[in-house]
Formats: sequence, C-alpha cells, structure tokens
Amino acid sequence: MKKINLALSFALVLVVLSGCSDSPKSEVATYKYTTEQVYKETCSHCHGPKGEGMAEKKAPALTKQSVQELEMSLFDIKNGGLGQSTASEHDVMEHNMKKLAEKGFDYDINKMANYIHNTFYVTH
Amino acid sequence: MKSDKIIEEILFEIEKHEGVMSRRNAMKFLAVSPIAASVLAGVATSTEANAASSTATGKIVIVGGGLAGVATAAKLTRRLANPDITLIEPNPKSVSYQPGQTLIAGGIWQKSDITYETANFIPKGVKWIKDSVVSFDPKNNKVTTADGIEIGYDYLIVATGLMLNFGAIKGLEGEITSSGADNAIVRQKVGKNGVYSIYFADGAVDTHKGIEELIAQAKAHTGTDKLQAIFTDPDTPIKCGGAPKKIMYLMHDLLKKAGVRDKIELTFCPSGDKMFGVPEYNTAIFEQFKARDFKWEFKTNLVAIDTDKKVATFEKKWLEKGEYDEDLKEYTMVSMSKMVDKNYDFIHITPPQKAPDAVGKSPIGSSKGWVPVVKETLQHVTYKNVFALGDVAAVPMGKTGGSARKEYPVVAENLIAVMEKQEKLPAAYDGYTVCPLITSIGTVMLAEFNWTAKPTPSFPLDPTQERWIWWLLKVYALKPMTVYGMLSGRA
Repeated sequence: MKKINLALSFALVLVVLSGCSDSPKSEVATYKYTTEQVYKETCSHCHGPKGEGMAEKKAPALTKQSVQELEMSLFDIKNGGLGQSTASEHDVMEHNMKKLAEKGFDYDINKMANYIHNTFYVTH
Repeated sequence: MKSDKIIEEILFEIEKHEGVMSRRNAMKFLAVSPIAASVLAGVATSTEANAASSTATGKIVIVGGGLAGVATAAKLTRRLANPDITLIEPNPKSVSYQPGQTLIAGGIWQKSDITYETANFIPKGVKWIKDSVVSFDPKNNKVTTADGIEIGYDYLIVATGLMLNFGAIKGLEGEITSSGADNAIVRQKVGKNGVYSIYFADGAVDTHKGIEELIAQAKAHTGTDKLQAIFTDPDTPIKCGGAPKKIMYLMHDLLKKAGVRDKIELTFCPSGDKMFGVPEYNTAIFEQFKARDFKWEFKTNLVAIDTDKKVATFEKKWLEKGEYDEDLKEYTMVSMSKMVDKNYDFIHITPPQKAPDAVGKSPIGSSKGWVPVVKETLQHVTYKNVFALGDVAAVPMGKTGGSARKEYPVVAENLIAVMEKQEKLPAAYDGYTVCPLITSIGTVMLAEFNWTAKPTPSFPLDPTQERWIWWLLKVYALKPMTVYGMLSGRA
C-alpha cells in the first residue's frame, strides 16, 4: 500500500518535472588541445591539411559536409554508433578515435564540426 | 484541468488491475499528497504564463500526426493568439501509444490498451487533412498530397515519423509504420512460424501468441539440444533502442514461469559492439544478461532470412590488424566481414528503419534520409521556416517518445521566435531521452541520458538499478502522462 503511494508520488514528480524547463545537467568537459591543434597534429595525416582526403589511407574528404552532417558523423565515431546497440558506420575510425583519445587528442564534437566546416568547406 | 485528467487516468489504470490499490485509497492519497497539490498548482501557473502570449501570425503546416506532431500542434494552439494550423496525417489511429507494444507482447496489455483515435486529440481549431504528403517543395513553400492537393505554408513542421523497413532484409517484404493498418505485406512472413516483431502493434499481438507457441513446443521438446531464440538489432538508427532487449527480458520471464527456460537458448545479435551507448547502463545490462544466462554476439547483423527452412543469415563484422601506420603511430585496422547462417526456432526481428522516401529523398531530406536540423534548435539547416522533430529528425540517440516530449516545446518556442522575426532562437534541446528498460515482469531500469552519454536521472536514486517502482511508472503512469499531458501540449 505504502509502496504504491510512493510510486504514485514519483509518477507525479515526473509530471511536475516535465512541466518545468529543467536545465541540462551536463558537465563542461575540458580538452588538452584546441580543435585546430587536434586537426593539424592528427586528423590532417589522413584527411589532409586542407581536408581533401587521401585515397591510400581510405580517408574521405571533409570539404563537402555541413556542420550538421559533420556533427552526426563525429558523434557516431566518438560514441560508437548513433543509437544504443547500433553499429557505428565508421568502425575503423571509431577504433582510431579511441587510440587518439587515449593520447589526449580528444575534442568537443560541435567545435570540431564547426572548425572543419569553416576551414575546409568548398562550394561545388 | 488537464492535470486532473492525468490523475484520473492513473487512477483508471490502477482500477483496471484490481488488488493493487483501491480507487478510494488512491483518491485519499492524492488528496493529502503535497506532491499532487504542487502538480495542480504547477500546471495551473504554467498554463497561465504560457497562454496565448504571442500575437505572431502565419500559416503553419504540420506533416505527421503522431505524438510529436499533435503535441506541437497543441502547444502552438495554446501559445498563439491567432493560430492557423493545418495538420496532415492519413492514419486515424496515429496517436496510438507505441511504448505499450512491449507490454502487449508480454501479455500484460491488450492492443485496445494502446489504441487511441487521433480525432479525439486534434486541438480545437486545427484543420486536419486526412491525407499523406508525397512531395515537398521548400523553395516555393508548399507540399503536395497523395490526392494531388497542393498546400502552401509560411512555416512547416515535419513530424512524419519513420518507416519500418522489413523489405531491407532479404526474404521479407514491406515498409510499414508502427500503428498503421496496412501491414499485410509484412505479415505474410512476420507474426507466424517463429518469426516475430514487436515494432508494430499487430506484430506485438502476434509475438505474444508466438511466445505461447514456443512454450508449447518447448514442453514437447525432448533431447539435450536447446531450442534457439534469436533477437536482432539492425545497423540503422531505430525507435526505442531498448526494445530489442526488452522483449528478451520479458520472454525470459514468461519462459521461466512456464518452466521451460532451460530448454531454450536466448541469444542477442546486434549490429553494434555494446549493449548501450552510456557506459554505466552498458555495464548494468551486461550484469543483467549474465544473471539470466543470455548469450550475445556483437557485430552480427541480420541481412537475410529463409522462413521456410528457419535459417537466418547474418553479416558478421570484425577488425583485423593491418600494417603499422607511421602517421597514426598505431597499427591500421582493416574492416572484415563474412556471412553466418543460424538456425532458429524463434526470432525477434528489429527491422532496419528509415525516413519515409517522400521526406528523405526530397529537398528537405539528406543523404541518409533523416531531416537535417541543427540538433539543439531543431531548425532545418537550409530552410529556416522549416523545423523537424520526432523519429524523422536527424538527431543522435533520439527516436523515443521521451525525446519527442522534450523536443516539441523547443520546436514551438523556436518557431514562434522565427514568426516574431527574433534574431536568436530561445529554446535548445539537449538530447535528453529515456528508456524504461523492462528487465522482468515487475522491474524496470529507468535509463535517462542525453548527448553527454552520461546518466541524467530525474530522481535521486541509482539509475542503474532495476526497480519495481519504475515498473509501476511504466505500466500505470507513463501512458496517461503521455496521452493526456503531452498530446495536449502541457507535459
């Protein structure tokens, strides 16, 4: 009986919470290098100094994607998939990214997507 | 007003399951509860603050009348003094409660428990066109319906949901929606003969029958080899990432109760290489799997099925060490794959999922189909008078009712800002989503998280624990909250 009361209270708390605009509780992550440093020190070895890509490294060009597309890809790579048990579409890069992160070459997804787009994007 | 309705519905749900709590006691509790009182107060104030506070005008067209579309219509109706909203949705039962499909398969609910008539939830003043959109012309601000009617708009909200693409698996056919009635093509092969899917409502009903058949088969089964039950999880983004596992937990319980669990092997075969994208929940699920003697094979994606021979073909992927790369200062990895056949007695298929072609291949779509939006503001990346939310929007980790519940107020507020010619969009979505992971009949792990891929619990309780109170929340409270809170744009 009491347990049910408790459960109902929680259900109602949820109603309350969903009514308020609770601010995100995310922590602010800090990174060892700037996005530009990370790109120049690591990404550029395979994706090229101008984001042009390298066929022999199987690294695609990064010059044609919107910030939004880059963000989705970077999320997929860093998180190992866009869902819960969904496979990453970038399984090799997911592995490489883990190795790079171990060496401190980690980055904020949104900042990196903006850096790549603003620095390398080519129309046509 | 509306919070009364939510409480009324919670009481109704409790009443249906006699013996849990009498309505009289529940009423008494609600009357004295300070929390209940604060709910009423809270809803009342927020209603007042938000009521018709914008005088912006313009014709708004919402494509899709599921939870996301109807909730957005309701919110906009309440916020705009002179709303002009047209909603286009062909399915008369589009607001049906999809999260209940797992409970139908578990034999806890009936299909009637989740079926809701869209007509009862269309906000007053909203024009409903019972048709589907076949083409989008965002440069000229118009859409065309299947009946060939052109509909112009000033502002467009895309909330079509997604398609269950059974046809992408060789041996199966059809592309259907969860609540649509036109699923005969898929049901030729799915929902019988050991092949099941809870991803559509009729499929969930069939799945429960299938589990009962498997129990009967197991009871008659002699010999030391076990019957094989396989659970798949595809390589596309999916609705409710927990469901492929929830059905496994429910089945485990039903088999145990029937005394046949030891005769059946349960194996999870997902395309990915983990249980959950949030490390804390991932670890918890591994423990739950071990405790139940579940088997799993990662990076094993269903690609074909022979339903006559009961053989499923999976593409198994792995990485092999290649040459040393001087630039990376690591060994390169080479992606490898091979086909693996598995015999099954029962297979639960989570179908590959995609945006409807009318959306995905249109100018508002993208190379992967999903509508590209700025993931925080939910505004289209190219067309600033277009927003998208729900399953069809290209945001990571979304595609749950919980995501839609956090997205629709963001879309409403940002759209109003665009209508008012404000420079900055005021509202931002943080990727919050929730997966009430059913771990048995009676327990749920309430996995809440956002794009930080960290648990974001709403309650001061260890979120990795399986708890019976979350079961009560799932079975008794979430549906009334969704149906009467969210669909009216209030919660």
